[in-house]
Order: sequence, then C-alpha cells, then structure tokens
Amino acid sequence: MPEKSSPIAPADDEKRKTRYAMVIDLRHCVGCHSCSVACKSENEVPLGKFRSWVKVIEKGRYPDVSRQFLPSLCNNCANPICNRNCPVRATYIRPDGIVGVNQHRCIGCMYCMASCPYDVRYINPLRKIVQKCFFCDHRVDKGLEPACVETCLGKARIFGDINDPNSEIAQVMSTNPVVTLKPDLGTEPHVFYIAADYDAMDPTSGVDINFILFEEPY
Amino acid sequence: MDPSNVNLLYNSPHQIPLGILLAQYFYLTGLSAGSFVVSVIAILGGKTEYKPLGKIGAVVAPLCLILAPMNLLVEMAQPLRAWHLMTYLPGYINPKSPITYGVMLLTAYPISAIIYAFFVYTGNMKMSKVFAIIGIPLAISVHGYTGFIIALGKGRALWNTALMPTLFIVSAMVSGIALMILAAIIRNVYFSQGKTEEEIEADRKLIYGLGKFLGAVIIFDLFLILNAVLVLLTSSKGAWHAAELLLWGRYSLDFLGVEILLGSVIPLFMVFYPKTATSLKGLTIASILVMVGIYAMRYSVVIGGQSVPLH
Repeated sequence: MPEKSSPIAPADDEKRKTRYAMVIDLRHCVGCHSCSVACKSENEVPLGKFRSWVKVIEKGRYPDVSRQFLPSLCNNCANPICNRNCPVRATYIRPDGIVGVNQHRCIGCMYCMASCPYDVRYINPLRKIVQKCFFCDHRVDKGLEPACVETCLGKARIFGDINDPNSEIAQVMSTNPVVTLKPDLGTEPHVFYIAADYDAMDPTSGVDINFILFEEPY
Repeated sequence: MDPSNVNLLYNSPHQIPLGILLAQYFYLTGLSAGSFVVSVIAILGGKTEYKPLGKIGAVVAPLCLILAPMNLLVEMAQPLRAWHLMTYLPGYINPKSPITYGVMLLTAYPISAIIYAFFVYTGNMKMSKVFAIIGIPLAISVHGYTGFIIALGKGRALWNTALMPTLFIVSAMVSGIALMILAAIIRNVYFSQGKTEEEIEADRKLIYGLGKFLGAVIIFDLFLILNAVLVLLTSSKGAWHAAELLLWGRYSLDFLGVEILLGSVIPLFMVFYPKTATSLKGLTIASILVMVGIYAMRYSVVIGGQSVPLH
C-alpha cells in the first residue's frame, strides 16, 4: 500500500518504498491482443491458459455500436486474499508489492484460485502448480519492463513505481481519473484503468450465466 | 447499458477449480462430525438404553473421517507435496489460512475419536466420558472449519457469508443423525439374535426418538437456508446471480428439487407423520432421502458458488 505523504512535507526519498503498479489507458488500446501473445511467449504459458488476456465486448444497437476492450491480468493486490488463504505460504508478497507464487512450495490445493475475486490464476497442466501474472518480476529485477508493456503498440500500458513522483506512471495517475476492478472488496488492486467501460468491467454482463462453459482446472 | 445490447465476444476460459471431490470431502466430514455428536449425546445422556447408539456412532465417526481426506489427496494437483501442510513450522505454514486449522483438526480429531471408540467398546465409562468431552469441540470444529474454507473464499458471493460455518455444522448434524438412524436400523433388524422381544422393542423406540430429533434439526437447517437465500436475493449483484442459479437457473433441480423437497420437506413430513414415524421402513426411506439431500447441498454450494463468472 502506498505510504501517504503530505504535500507540504514530501516524504524523504531515502525512506520511500518502491511499489510497482500498472496503468492501462484504454483510450490507446486497439484490442490487438499482442500483450496476450507476448505474455505467453515470455512466460511459457501453456495452451488454453492465460496470465494476461484481453476481454472484448460489443455494445449498443446499430448504428450506435462500439467494441470495448478490457486487458486483464493479476492485479497484484496490496491486500490479496490468495496470500491470506494459501496454507503453505507459496503465495508471497515482495517488498515492492509484486505478488508471486513459489513454484517449489505450491501444493496445488487450488484454494487461491477459488478465492481470487478476479479469477486470474490457473493450474499449469504440465507442471501441476498454480501460476499467475507477477509483472514479469524476472524482467523488472533486470531493469526491463514487463513483456506486455514493452510490446504494447499503442503504449496503452504504463508500468512503474507509483511511489516515485518522477516516474511516468505516478504522473499519469495523478493527472487522470483511474479506476480498479471491484474496489469494494478491499483487496487494493494495483492495476489501474483509464476510460474502462462499465459493461466490460462487469463479469456477468453480456453472458447468460446458466449457459457458461466450464473448464477443468487441469 | 441494457444487458440485451451487450455481447461478450472474447474472454479467457471460465474455470471451476474446486470440484465434486471437495463437495464429497465436506459431506464425509459432516457425516463423521454429526454421528460423533449423536454418539456423545448418547454416552453423556447417562441412560443405559441410549448406550447402543453411542457404540454405533463411535465406529461410524472415525470411519467417515478416514475416508474424507482421501478425496482431498485426489483433488490436489500435487498430492506428493501434501506433507508440506504437516510440518507445523511457523515459517512453512500460514496460520491465517483455514486449511491450516483444518490440517491440525484432521490430525487431532480422528486420534481422539479412535481412543473414544476404544473406551466405549471396552466399557470404560469414565474414560469414554473424558474423551467424549475432548471430542465434542474437535468434532464441531473439524466440520466448522470447512465452513470457514467456503466463507473465506472472498471472490464468491454465495460463499462469502458469515452464515456458512453454522449452516455447515447444522447440515452435518442432519446427515450424521440420518446415518445413525440407518446404522441403528441395520443393527436392529440384522444383528438382534439372542435378544428378547422387549429389548428389540426398546431399541426401536430409541430409533423413533432419533427420528424426532432428526426432524427438529431439519427445521433449523431449513430456517438457516431461508436466511441465506433471502440475504442473497438482496445483496450484491454476484449474490443475486448466485441466487438466480440456485432458485430458477442451472442448479435449481439440485437445490430446490433434491435438497429442499426430497432432502428436507418430504423427510420432515415422514418423521412427524405417525404412520411413517413409527415404522422402520418409513424411517429408512426418510434417512436415505436426507443423506441424498445433504449431498446435493454440498454439491450446489461448492459447484454453484463457483459458477458465477468473475472476469
């Protein structure tokens, strides 16, 4: 959770904690799905599973119609329920806010998947452990941006440290209206959207919940 | 926007992580906890004619609990790592997770139940009372924690209510008493050689009394289900969709048909209607219906709760 600093006496830069987050500016998103492809390639995500994907809806009645996109990924919450519910501490929170899964400790009980309010976790059918987006922490640690951010052709994704006032993400977040998914659950998601559509953010909009196809976990 | 003007074009697949084996695990722990409680009531009740019930429950409870965790092992993606849960080292297990409490309870409860059964069968009344008193909180919490597993599944509107642990304990009592009635009827009909007519008749009276007890617990269970459904209908959007699935959607046959009508209303009538309440056949049918109904309850809660899409 970002530390609150008073505008009169700014927090000392030495004490400032890094907190990685992502802003997705949907005014620039063209729905090309290249973030999904880049993520699959970077993280070896198996067939049929996604760490990052783009939900697409159509709305309106001809001729007033539009297509809305919602690029979805793990929100790397500041107060994640998956971390609280993991019985073996396989899910951990890094000091910079990234939520990861220790692949050597995960017992595959799938309780984190059942309790995640955003349904971003999956079981890797080959390795039989739970995986999810972790902002490409192997790239971030080497000073690179996550694969989806680097590949985004409209520069809709902005990644960085929201506690650093000079970073692009902090400036974008301060000067634009941002929303998160399901803020009422108190999980404090750290993927923020600019100009996200109401119906795209609603999981039950545009589907008949009696006829959803289910997928086996693995 | 009017929902009829919105079309979902593309989304990642909708997954149901916890499947029917978890529902079966909840069902078996429920049977174990319920029959243990009935057994302890019979032992602590003091009257000698209740003792046979105590013996039946003392066998059924550990048996169901040995079967139950097998379902979890099959359900897990990494069954060979199950020992990670049992290290009990603070750095390796998460004390905030309900599964952690569950593992400790699943270790302690069967051991205490087996010791209790040993003392019940060897006729050591003093020690069996001691282990009955130790076992009661363990039995209730071994099933109560499964309610916490469901209740702390924050994303699912059907699960995330404070009512879940109570509802689970009460439905465990219902199914446990039904199993006890079945076991007592089998004992009365097939294992009564060398007993006088009066003894068999007294045994039957005991079974009829158990039937009345079953009816009382079913009424409480129905009341809790009514509470849950009324709150679902007026709570968040996800909760409304969960109520829709249960009441007139995909799971209405499991919930309204099997759980409420076959598993609660018809047995309730049978245990209070004098003709069926004082016949072993009537009580057998009523208890089988109750056990099927509680299985449908576990299924509709576990699978139905995960059927509302979250992304």
